[in-house]
Amino acid sequence: MSVPALELSGLKKSFGKAEIIRGIDLSIGKAERHAIIGPNGAGKSTLFNLITARFAPTAGTVKLHGENLAGLEPFQINRKGLSRSFQITNIFPRMSVFENVRCALLWAQGYKYSFWNIVSRQRALSEGADAILDEINLLARRDLPAGMLSYAEQRALEIGITIAGGANVIMLDEPTAGMSNTETDYIMDLIMRVTEGKTLIMVEHDMGVVFGLADRISVLVYGEILATGKPADVRADAKVQEAYLGAALEAEH
Amino acid sequence: MSDTDPRADIPKGMRPDEQITTDPTKPQQRMRAGSLTMTLAPWIAAVVIMMALPIVFDNNSSLTIMNQMSITIVFALAYNMLLGQGGMLSFGHAVYAGVGGFFCMHLMNMSDFFAALPLPLLPFFGGLFGMGLALIIGSFSTRSAGTVFAMISLGVGELIAASSIIFVAFFGGEGGISGDRTYAQPFFGVEFLQQQEVYYLTAAWVIISAALMYAWSRTPVGRMANAVRDNPERAEFLGYSARWVRYYSFVASGFFAGVSGGLFAINYEILTEENLNAASSGIILLVTFLGGVGFFFGPIIGAVVFTLVQTVLSLQTELWAFYAGTLFLATVMFFPGGLAGLIMMHVPAFKLGKAQLLVMPYVRTLIPAAIGILGLCALVEMTFHYRHAATGDHEMTLFWTTFDSHTIMPWIIAAVIAAVGIGIARITAPDLKDAWNEANTAGGKK
Repeated sequence: MSVPALELSGLKKSFGKAEIIRGIDLSIGKAERHAIIGPNGAGKSTLFNLITARFAPTAGTVKLHGENLAGLEPFQINRKGLSRSFQITNIFPRMSVFENVRCALLWAQGYKYSFWNIVSRQRALSEGADAILDEINLLARRDLPAGMLSYAEQRALEIGITIAGGANVIMLDEPTAGMSNTETDYIMDLIMRVTEGKTLIMVEHDMGVVFGLADRISVLVYGEILATGKPADVRADAKVQEAYLGAALEAEH
Repeated sequence: MSDTDPRADIPKGMRPDEQITTDPTKPQQRMRAGSLTMTLAPWIAAVVIMMALPIVFDNNSSLTIMNQMSITIVFALAYNMLLGQGGMLSFGHAVYAGVGGFFCMHLMNMSDFFAALPLPLLPFFGGLFGMGLALIIGSFSTRSAGTVFAMISLGVGELIAASSIIFVAFFGGEGGISGDRTYAQPFFGVEFLQQQEVYYLTAAWVIISAALMYAWSRTPVGRMANAVRDNPERAEFLGYSARWVRYYSFVASGFFAGVSGGLFAINYEILTEENLNAASSGIILLVTFLGGVGFFFGPIIGAVVFTLVQTVLSLQTELWAFYAGTLFLATVMFFPGGLAGLIMMHVPAFKLGKAQLLVMPYVRTLIPAAIGILGLCALVEMTFHYRHAATGDHEMTLFWTTFDSHTIMPWIIAAVIAAVGIGIARITAPDLKDAWNEANTAGGKK
């Protein structure tokens, strides 16, 4: 079997005495769309933050394409091809929409910390940024300050920034949180398109999105994975039904 | 997704005009060609004015003021690389200019070396030394932005300012270090004996520095400085270390601050503790904020206005610092975008072709307001005179009028002028507001 895109083993995280993540083993294959679901406070966002080195784990390892990420800074992990979005919209509000995306392209196109290139003269950069804007349907808004976009547009921009660098592992933290049904459909469709052929890991509350999008689902309850499997299997799992999904599915309808 | 006009919901005065030229290759860029000339024209005009100024104002005191302005422009632009573009609030940036200047003084005093060095190159060395210090201090101070950075900058600033009386050999103690610029190798026969020659040397450095700093803001590291300012965490997840981005900005800012220190050394031929202390650091913060941190040209306006207040107004009144402080306070409270923000607020009205709607309302509000403020100033000046003039000296001159500050009449007149002026302005202000809204709304009557 080939090396998984992302492999977590024995991952734990405690804040003081509170053990938030209590030993997670999970392997996510290349080009798999993997959803992490679970009740509030289960540790989903914490798990994301552990993977992306926003927090350091108390124990265990995270491997990206077989490479241990221990001790790396977020920017180093990003350079290895892992990109993430945030639960709370995290863009550059005072910069234009176009500049938001262009900044996301700089490292990927090899500009590093250079101060001898004028960015507006770099055709590949501008065209790349516009292509992304076209993909996320924000071309009409490219010159607005990002902070002035509507909420759904900011979420779309956030996804655009996340994918722009060409990372092959994309992590989205509740991309449809706080959205209306039409907006959710739009974002779902967008996620489907832009993560084609890439590994997608997402935390999501909307069961419609989860079952429509994911190849596999992990159910996280109290810092542990209760079940991992294909949507249909997870849905049928008695433990999951009992712990979480029954209530969540009822709430949906 | 809504498909309404994408520009309809932008609040007035907040359009990202500085970003209109982000990409000249795309057709979406409305008025692209126009914006390019619009961007270049003010700069060319500024250069022409700079070249022509000494012809109009050719006396030495004007030249001194203009030189002071130029030095402040370079320093304020360098400072804004941190504050406006990088989101780093420094309370001790004078040390980079000062240390650059002190090194330049020492170079001036190394007679063999200096005799072989054309004077116009000296500020470059000032820049190198300013940068050298920034390389050292920045290595730990840029670890984080915000309060930590501000506190470190304050601490380092105080530390180096205090060193000036400890390391007397380098800083010259209380007397400072002086030198003579004319010992430099003549530059194409110019020995910089004349103020005017020094002016052109300084002006050339202003143009070079401003152009380089502007170019910097357009480079990948300059763009990422904005990104780190807005959201350091997000920048990290785009592959950039926020710390390194800050460090590069800091070092570049240190270079240009050092250049301004070198220009100071050439102009005044003396550097003292005053060039390093917290007051100087505070002034550059004030200048930059007054001009506006949100636009590249903001600090230039700030430097010009502040230098005028500092020099011209200080000839008129001892209380100039009081007025400068009030102006700063008013800027912070009412126009956080600074003078540049105030100017750029009017761009949408001009683009809509409705700016002329604002002229009369402005006249009706701003002139009474200005008169009212002058009335207030008169009260301030009279109070100052009443309290601080020598005993028995009751006569004071204000606005070309001589009167007795110990009689009641002048006080009544000043108070009435202040009250009436501000009263009228308050009455006409709602009209101005309506005109403002009208001028910034597309369509309707022209």
